[in-house]
Amino acid sequence: MNIGSLDAVGRVLEFPRRLVVEPAGVVDDWGRDPGFVRQMIALSQLRWSVSVGGEQHLPRRQGALIVVNARRFALAPILAAFAISEAVDRPCRFVGRSDTAPLGPLGRRIGGLLDHPDEVFGALRAGELVVLGAAASTGLRQVGSVGRIKHEHVGAATAAGVQVYPAATMSSPFGRNARVEIGSATRPSRRRRGPLAELELADHLRRQIEQLLDEMGEIRTGTPIDWLPLSGLGGH
Amino acid sequence: MGGRRVFVSGLGSELGTMVAGMLEAEPWVGALAGIDADPPRRRLPNTTFHRISPDQHDRIVETVTRFNPHVLVHIGVWEPDARASPKVAKTLTDQAATSIIGAAAECSAMEHLVVRSGIEIYGRGRDSLTRPDETAPIRPTSEWGRTVAEIEHIAARVSARVGVSVGAVRLAPVLGPHVPSPLGRMLRNPVVPFSLLADPPFAVITDRDAARAIVAAAREGLAEPVNVVASGAVTCLQALRRGRRIPFPLIGPDWQVARALSYLFGSPIPDHVAEVLHRGRLADNGRMAELLGVVPESTTSEVIDQLYGWPSIIRQPARVAAA
Repeated sequence: MNIGSLDAVGRVLEFPRRLVVEPAGVVDDWGRDPGFVRQMIALSQLRWSVSVGGEQHLPRRQGALIVVNARRFALAPILAAFAISEAVDRPCRFVGRSDTAPLGPLGRRIGGLLDHPDEVFGALRAGELVVLGAAASTGLRQVGSVGRIKHEHVGAATAAGVQVYPAATMSSPFGRNARVEIGSATRPSRRRRGPLAELELADHLRRQIEQLLDEMGEIRTGTPIDWLPLSGLGGH
Repeated sequence: MGGRRVFVSGLGSELGTMVAGMLEAEPWVGALAGIDADPPRRRLPNTTFHRISPDQHDRIVETVTRFNPHVLVHIGVWEPDARASPKVAKTLTDQAATSIIGAAAECSAMEHLVVRSGIEIYGRGRDSLTRPDETAPIRPTSEWGRTVAEIEHIAARVSARVGVSVGAVRLAPVLGPHVPSPLGRMLRNPVVPFSLLADPPFAVITDRDAARAIVAAAREGLAEPVNVVASGAVTCLQALRRGRRIPFPLIGPDWQVARALSYLFGSPIPDHVAEVLHRGRLADNGRMAELLGVVPESTTSEVIDQLYGWPSIIRQPARVAAA
């Protein structure tokens, strides 16, 4: 067991002490419970050892929309939100919690937002960091490609006047190592006055994320071998 | 701008008295008058008070039109199970809204109308926004939410017909040491039920911050809705832990029993409070500073701490027997 794993185990063992020592908590304006998130991050570190790159691109105070690639069942938006929150030391939310108990309330406690453009717009206008996952990909032929990005949410970021950042996530179904690489802010290739702006921005984001995935150096053959955790960073 | 006539409905309530007290200190207010079914809670030396029941339509119209206000602040609303049962509260609120806002429409000097509303107006249906702002659709899901929606609707109709500006102050649940609030009353019980599976967050506002917002709305001539909510949020379980109350976890059908028991012990849980416990109640207060020029002085967690710090009612026996 390496030092990272021991550290993660140590944090989990601290749970009971924290529950007793920490005062009765509060949640923030969106229902995120910082104490509970700390506990969940500690738990998630048992499963994943995430390294984050490019966090210096993100604004220190203003809101930002971070769009990540996703794979089904990989919980990429949650993984990325936790990792980015740790890296930049400020709350980071993710889009896509349900509104049904008990999963909905649990998702809200760890920073989840409803999958609705108005909800995303409200959070971004309030200066929050929000992680949005692209549509999850499953097929082997899609290795290295990024699913559809909801342009309505990208439009919400444009309306809120915040920057949109592409980010590539890599994790393995079997290994612990995972990586989140944040690129520089996306700029629209041409100025549009209408809704085409958000459509083109979403397409541009997809290409940028694919480029980031390529730069992360994975071997992609387009065959089932891409799904094997050979490097500890398998999948996409 | 000095010398303006301001009329306050609901002057007898804690919030109404507080608003009137603050308005008396405003330099732009020349004359101040108000009505309610109950007298004000404290002395208001520069305010003319008329004790009129909401069902006395003719007297209300006569009083308001004779005063001929420039600004009308309508606080005369009854929250269900605060001072009256839900049915009575709805009747009184409807009567007051129709008579007072209707009378305001007949006043030639009338320029601006401020109505007290609530964030219950957004409703908490499935997939409703976690933190709705003022542009969110109005889909009330409780009796109180429908009541405040109706008040805003009446005010908007008057605005369209007469051409006066209307501002709606959408308040979070108001808590204060003397404010009759079903939520505050329930949270102060020794044993309090909470939803084990949901335990959603909610936000509140103190009576003082609510009064400051209403006065600012009258001063600034607010012409649109604004959410008035303290920053931060708290869940029911967190509130109970802060107040050292015994939380009683509930899951589903047992809520009916809990509500009945709470009613019997003098702390009824109306549907809009039950909704807070099941679905939460938050709203975006981002436009408060821009529209009103004020921000809440207390955060939600501070208000909850104050709630548990306020002394209980001390009953003192009469020194001399009356009979």
